Amino acid sequence: MTAHQPLSRVVVLGRDADLWLCVNAVSRALNSAGVQLVAIELPTRLKPSHVSATLPPLEAFHAKLDIKESSLIRATGGSFSFGHNFVAISARTPNFFHAWGAYGAPIDGSAFFPCWLKATRHGLNIAFQNFCLTAVAAQNGRMLLPDDATSAFGRTDYGYHMQTMAYAGYLKSIAATLGVNMIEAQHVSVEREDNGSIAALIVDGSLRVEGQLFVDATGEDAVLIGQSLAVPCESWRQYFSVDRVLIARAPVFTSIPPFAEIRAAPNGWNALHPNQVATGVVHAYSSGISSDAAALESATAASGAKLADVSYHSVNPSIRSRVWEGNCVAVGGSACVLDPIHDVDLHALQLGLVHLLSLFPVTEQFTVERAEYNRIMRSYYERIRDFQCAFYALSSFDGEFWQQSRDRTVPQPLSHKIATFRARADIAPMEDETFSPDSWQALFTGLGVVPESWPPNIDRISPNRFNEEFRRALEFIKGKVLEQPTHDGYLDSLCRSSAG
Amino acid sequence: MGEAIRDDHGSAPFRVVIVGGGTAGWMSAAGIRRQLRTEDYAVTLIESDEIGTVGVGEATLPHIKLFNDMLGVDEAQFMRETRATFKLGIQFCNWNQPGDSYIHPFGAFGEPWGGVEFQHHFFRAVQAGRQSFSLQDYSYSVVAARSNAFEFPNEDRKSIRSTYSYAYHFDAGLYAAFLRSWAIERGVHRIEGQVCDVSRHPTTGDLTELTLKSGERIAGDLFIDCSGFRSLLLGKIMGVAWQDWTHWLPCDRALAVPCKRIGALTPYTRATARRAGWTWRIPLQHRTGNGYVFSSQFINDGEARDALLAVLDGAAQGEPRLLRFSPGRRDRAWQGNCVAIGLASGFLEPLESTAIYLIQAAVIDLLRLMPRPGSSADPRLAAEFNRLNDMQYERVRDFLVLHYTSNSRIGEPLWDYVRSMPLPDSLEHKLQLFRSRAALPNHQYGLFARDSWLSVLVGQGIVPTGYDRLADAFTLSTLEEKLIEFRNRIQTNVDAMSAHGAFIADYAQAAEAAASEEAVA
Repeated sequence: MTAHQPLSRVVVLGRDADLWLCVNAVSRALNSAGVQLVAIELPTRLKPSHVSATLPPLEAFHAKLDIKESSLIRATGGSFSFGHNFVAISARTPNFFHAWGAYGAPIDGSAFFPCWLKATRHGLNIAFQNFCLTAVAAQNGRMLLPDDATSAFGRTDYGYHMQTMAYAGYLKSIAATLGVNMIEAQHVSVEREDNGSIAALIVDGSLRVEGQLFVDATGEDAVLIGQSLAVPCESWRQYFSVDRVLIARAPVFTSIPPFAEIRAAPNGWNALHPNQVATGVVHAYSSGISSDAAALESATAASGAKLADVSYHSVNPSIRSRVWEGNCVAVGGSACVLDPIHDVDLHALQLGLVHLLSLFPVTEQFTVERAEYNRIMRSYYERIRDFQCAFYALSSFDGEFWQQSRDRTVPQPLSHKIATFRARADIAPMEDETFSPDSWQALFTGLGVVPESWPPNIDRISPNRFNEEFRRALEFIKGKVLEQPTHDGYLDSLCRSSAG
Repeated sequence: MGEAIRDDHGSAPFRVVIVGGGTAGWMSAAGIRRQLRTEDYAVTLIESDEIGTVGVGEATLPHIKLFNDMLGVDEAQFMRETRATFKLGIQFCNWNQPGDSYIHPFGAFGEPWGGVEFQHHFFRAVQAGRQSFSLQDYSYSVVAARSNAFEFPNEDRKSIRSTYSYAYHFDAGLYAAFLRSWAIERGVHRIEGQVCDVSRHPTTGDLTELTLKSGERIAGDLFIDCSGFRSLLLGKIMGVAWQDWTHWLPCDRALAVPCKRIGALTPYTRATARRAGWTWRIPLQHRTGNGYVFSSQFINDGEARDALLAVLDGAAQGEPRLLRFSPGRRDRAWQGNCVAIGLASGFLEPLESTAIYLIQAAVIDLLRLMPRPGSSADPRLAAEFNRLNDMQYERVRDFLVLHYTSNSRIGEPLWDYVRSMPLPDSLEHKLQLFRSRAALPNHQYGLFARDSWLSVLVGQGIVPTGYDRLADAFTLSTLEEKLIEFRNRIQTNVDAMSAHGAFIADYAQAAEAAASEEAVA
């Protein structure tokens, strides 16, 4: 059908979860199409204190890779995470919960949020999150196992908190069963074609590995797309104050909360990611405002525990100008470095892989695929960036860090989104969104943004209908939460049964 | 439960004034009246019997049913009153080259297997020489349409009979009249008259008051311009510039004429490519609507008239009426306190029956973004409305241009021009993606869905050189079995459907159409 050679030899260079998730995905999907995969593994950068916190879509992605949830949880010391609890230090801003689920259910065909907003304007004093089944269950230490009734009420979803080293090892062990050629490398050099594309990688100065397509899964090192092909990064520094994170380990909770907790500190924020083995701590700050020592002090105070395995890392939010250049595709951190808020890293990796598979070249002639991949990935990354920016731009926390964050530039699509929300309680629909309208509403509302008006069609609904529906929703949530197993109990049974 | 929720009272009703009573005007009026409280919003519609509407028959998209359902309209009654028939898709004849024919259905092609879209499996079988059917044969609604059959879609999502939806053909003039009585019964104030003067606020430039020929003055807070091509308020008064798209869509005139209905009632619109444009055929209960959309650069009005009259099924009912238009849209549909809906905001030729859809989308967006009583028009709301409106128009435009640009009608000047014209980048990119790997546009918002693109891309003769390699997961013999099984499932189910004509007669036949049916027999 075509004069071009089918593309059949793919080389993935990388390390840790980026590498092994990529290898699993490409191998599973394309093995039957005759694609041969070589995985070149660079030395790990992981530390025992690293915890991977994930977004809900990873579950479906894992399912495509035949990864069983029970064995995953067991292998990674994992736990479930139903959302993010934002806890303020400032007394002016109440806590809020950003859950992976629906907030309220439509009332007489109208979206819940404006109904809640109007009722609140008229004296209702029940927080938005109390209408979110997922949030209430999580805050009560419960699982939320969906059934027909919960599905009729709305979406409920979860992510995971996994020990990153264990997760990477688990993915690697599966990759080993897929017939992938796996090579360990200390150092890799790149052999280029005359046209600038990559001809082969030279592993540790001796082994030459040829390929038609090279995937750069080396994280921020960007060994191929950055160091070799010299594709520049566009800095997103103008949007973000965080330029450094402290990563550490706190003791395991006796009862493991099924959510992450993000605590605003005067000069940054502190996240706890509990799982069965430990509690991951991330403390994000600006080096211009806090020294590492001050950050450690702040992280210790915010975590309320003694921290171990402390390490410090720079953060340079940026997007690669072209994430696919020549015959090299960058996924994960080599393509885009995102701010640490909202735990989006693995999801950004997943998006890169999903679109690489859906645009996987038919032949060596793939300029169209490359153009589309560059277009669509930029769009996805920018929408994630916008959601992250919203957290900083709208925060009302005290402290120099927060003041600086508020004073930064806001990307145009986000300022449009904020303006539409302020004016009309509406989430402007955009393509390629990672975060649902529920998430945007939860974030905006949690940060104290109160819309000036609501869509006038909800005024047809009588105040009594609102009250009836609010009462019904609260009773439903209360009943459903009580039916659920505790997170601790569920983890115990999951790990016990799958061990047998 | 906290204190009782009170309703907002105190401000005077917000005054919405609609200029123009065609489909756009009455859909806007009905939508507002259905969704917004009369104590909050007063709706006045100004129309003039002296200004005609086209009213020869209009084809719609399935979305119209959502609008009617929102109003709570009884489908059978609506169909009787508008002489409506069902529509499963559009048949395109001679578009790639003379003799060709394909249907763009309101339905799916095949089904995804192994998480991979159907067209990849289809083209894989084609490339392996294991495909004896055309893509069209894998659409339930295409096969049903070709058999002149109709049934309501099944609600069981697992059934193949759930894989389509339907729209209507109706008399647009009667639809406007139907909505007019619906809206007037519910409190829309209709004024017969013509606007002769418009007052604006001296500093903001917002519209404040319209003066009619009768001398009557109508004040308002928000003005909806449904004045058609004249764009009386948005274009003429607010001076919002026109973006011309003639270089992509050269047709600038249409001749329309109804004719006597002959033969079986087809459940699809027909669009037939002609030397200088294309002709439409829209079957209604009581007659057939026809028209010739053409480019005045390539044919004169007289030749077009003769060409149209030569292709009618039955005797023409009157002399063809000429419409002049230019394709394109206003830079902004909402400016200040003036919102244009319908032809006053933009025009795209009726090739894919998008006119009423674009009205509907604008009405629904306006309902969400409508200023509240006591407030003035908010530029933030206008910005969101305009963003959505632009997206709708541009996506429809690209889809229309696709029908023209990919053709093999070599030697015909119009068709030679559109084949070689520079395309919008957004379309060029979509074409390349399909050619190289059978990938389809995948938007979450706006028209058109993937299967629509697939039908027209393939119908216009584009053959992809590759397909998604994830499709290789099946063996070829398994694939062949699945394809045959799917084909059989379609045929068995279509065989059990009613004839479209009989279905209409049973469900929603207008009294006069029944009479003419007897006369035909």
